[in-house]
Amino acid sequence: MFQSIAGKSNLEKADLEPALKALKDKLMTKNVAEEIAEKLCESVAASLEGKKLGSFTRISSTVRSIDILRDVHAAKEQGKPYVVVFVGVNGVGKSTNLAKVAYWLQQHNINVMMAACDTFRSGAVEQLRTHARRLQIPIFEKGYEKDPAIVAKEAIQEASRNGSDVVLVDTAGRMQDNEPLMRALAKLVYVNSPDLVLFVGEALVGNDGVDQLSKFNQKLADLSPSPNPRLIDGILLTKFDTIDDKVGAALSMVYISGSPVMFVGCGQSYTDLKKLNVKSIIRALLK
Amino acid sequence: MVLQQLGGSITRALQQMSNATIIDEKVLNECLNEITRALLQSDVQFKLVRDMQTNIKKIVNLDDLAAGHNKRNIIQKAIFNELCKILDPGKPAFAPKKGKPSVVMFVGLQGSGKTTTCTKYAFYHQKKGWKPALVCADTFRAGAFDQLKQNATKAKIPFYGSYMESDPVKIAVEGVERFKKENCDLIIVDTSGRHKQEAALFEEMRQVSEATKPDLVIFVMDSSIGQAAFDQAQAFKQSVAVGAVIITKMDGHAKGGGALSAVAATKSPVIFIGTGEHMDEFEIFDVKPFVSRLLGMGDWSGFMDK
Ligand SMILES: Nc1nc2c(ncn2[C@@H]2O[C@H](COP(=O)(O)OP(=O)(O)OP(=O)(O)O)[C@@H](O)[C@H]2O)c(=O)[nH]1
Ligand SMILES: Nc1nc2c(ncn2[C@@H]2O[C@H](COP(=O)(O)OP(=O)(O)OP(=O)(O)O)[C@@H](O)[C@H]2O)c(=O)[nH]1
Ligand SMILES: [Mg+2]
Ligand SMILES: [Mg+2]
Repeated sequence: MFQSIAGKSNLEKADLEPALKALKDKLMTKNVAEEIAEKLCESVAASLEGKKLGSFTRISSTVRSIDILRDVHAAKEQGKPYVVVFVGVNGVGKSTNLAKVAYWLQQHNINVMMAACDTFRSGAVEQLRTHARRLQIPIFEKGYEKDPAIVAKEAIQEASRNGSDVVLVDTAGRMQDNEPLMRALAKLVYVNSPDLVLFVGEALVGNDGVDQLSKFNQKLADLSPSPNPRLIDGILLTKFDTIDDKVGAALSMVYISGSPVMFVGCGQSYTDLKKLNVKSIIRALLK
Repeated sequence: MVLQQLGGSITRALQQMSNATIIDEKVLNECLNEITRALLQSDVQFKLVRDMQTNIKKIVNLDDLAAGHNKRNIIQKAIFNELCKILDPGKPAFAPKKGKPSVVMFVGLQGSGKTTTCTKYAFYHQKKGWKPALVCADTFRAGAFDQLKQNATKAKIPFYGSYMESDPVKIAVEGVERFKKENCDLIIVDTSGRHKQEAALFEEMRQVSEATKPDLVIFVMDSSIGQAAFDQAQAFKQSVAVGAVIITKMDGHAKGGGALSAVAATKSPVIFIGTGEHMDEFEIFDVKPFVSRLLGMGDWSGFMDK
């Protein structure tokens, strides 16, 4: 890809352009959002021209790292359950991957409880109940059409009573532009101040992934009554087994939010939960 | 509707070209670049976009155009035809007939909206006087039967499924037989979500299709899908006889280009779009008027290659 410019001692913008165009095209075929591919190429150009741009360093330096197991134990020492809220648009895999996270925590001898706070979608409560039964995990549920913020609150109280270490809160899928639903989510987060707000996104998503993440963050900020609202802490990227080498959504999502990909879902059974392998992502992107 | 954003960008690019006094290579390239960008931002498959760009350039060979020709018109016509090639497979989908039993099978990737859309499709026809019925052949996903059952109950549509049976083929066959006996004229079979990387799942889908002999297989696709859309859609088409596409979640922000790539891959038209989670948030989709609208219409009608 970069052969055309190799060997020149001085790089000028015009020399770079064909190569950068090729790079941008390649990133887009791998499902990196157009806007993100453009920004990446800009920062590559800037660094090659000797200028410095903030954006490229952002991925490596400002993405915080979170150690859930450590934080769970810290919460336990303070005598309160560690609360994780799963949020995201419809059908991305929130409930299924919540169950996988529950299984993973179980493997680390942590007592988990599920909270069925998708009180809207048909079958959502039964879906979670099925996972809870299979994994033999207690579940807190109040059926349908209840205020999910209140259900979550009661679930957390129940967890404190029964000595659960972690509460995993399932929420209904919602479109990022749907104001009433986003307001309800902001309320759930505000009322319960969870330890971790996990954005669930699917690796299949195209350009919309950028909009989903930035709007979820923006709405959580704008629609919360708190002056210091809680935003998205981390990303769970699902359906990684369905995309071959089109791994670009991982890049777009991290780039736009500055949040780490904490888990990758790569199948439909409980063991299909992995850590992101950054090297293999980069390799797939540039192959 | 979101796809209109794409239409807007394309129309703007063409407008800009129309404003130029001389149409040379540079003006044409700028116009094509704008359109390409709009298509890529909407998640139309990269290769489709590139091929389209090459084709247009080939058709619109600026040097060959005799002085008297109206370059602008030739360019616009080429763009229109290429877009039509992506959006319009050229043959209508199988249309079930009221009063005559038809089996319609829904397939698609995990979470694309099959189960929700099955009910919408049934409800839509029920309102028009049909006798639809729903069969839950998803024995895999937790809560799948409850979901279909609750939806069907809300819409007062008969349903069939089982909590115990794990073989989707068996349930599908039983359900279809039962509703044929009950004189239902639209028997809708919901199936599990699946993806091309897992061969066993595709084999299962093939078996359900073979056993129930659907008159129509509908591929359900989420409007937010990116570059993986084409390959997945093509793989579905190669396993079962996909005859129509429904694009869901059009109430979101996605521009729907990935789903349009599915049209190209399955060579099947989009027949409905889903615009919300509720039963009635469902619209009929017609390709030709859509393409015309996409491009600002009117003057375009004369361009259709017939
Ligand atoms: N192939 C694959 N499928 C997945 C993965 N994660 C979830 N799924 C499937 O995606 C579908 C939707 O999953 P759910 O967990 O119900 O999604 P959700 O986000 O909770 O959906 P809503 O609550 O309706 O918004 C199911 O069929 C899951 O089995 C994954 O990592 N890989
Ligand atoms: N906003 C919106 N949500 C939709 C639409 N269609 C479906 N959904 C939602 O998308 C999610 C997934 O829908 P399902 O019908 O369960 O999808 P599915 O394809 O049956 O999923 P699997 O059976 O797990 O493969 C649910 O939360 C639905 O409510 C739509 O048009 N708009
Ligand atoms: Mg769910
Ligand atoms: Mg389903």
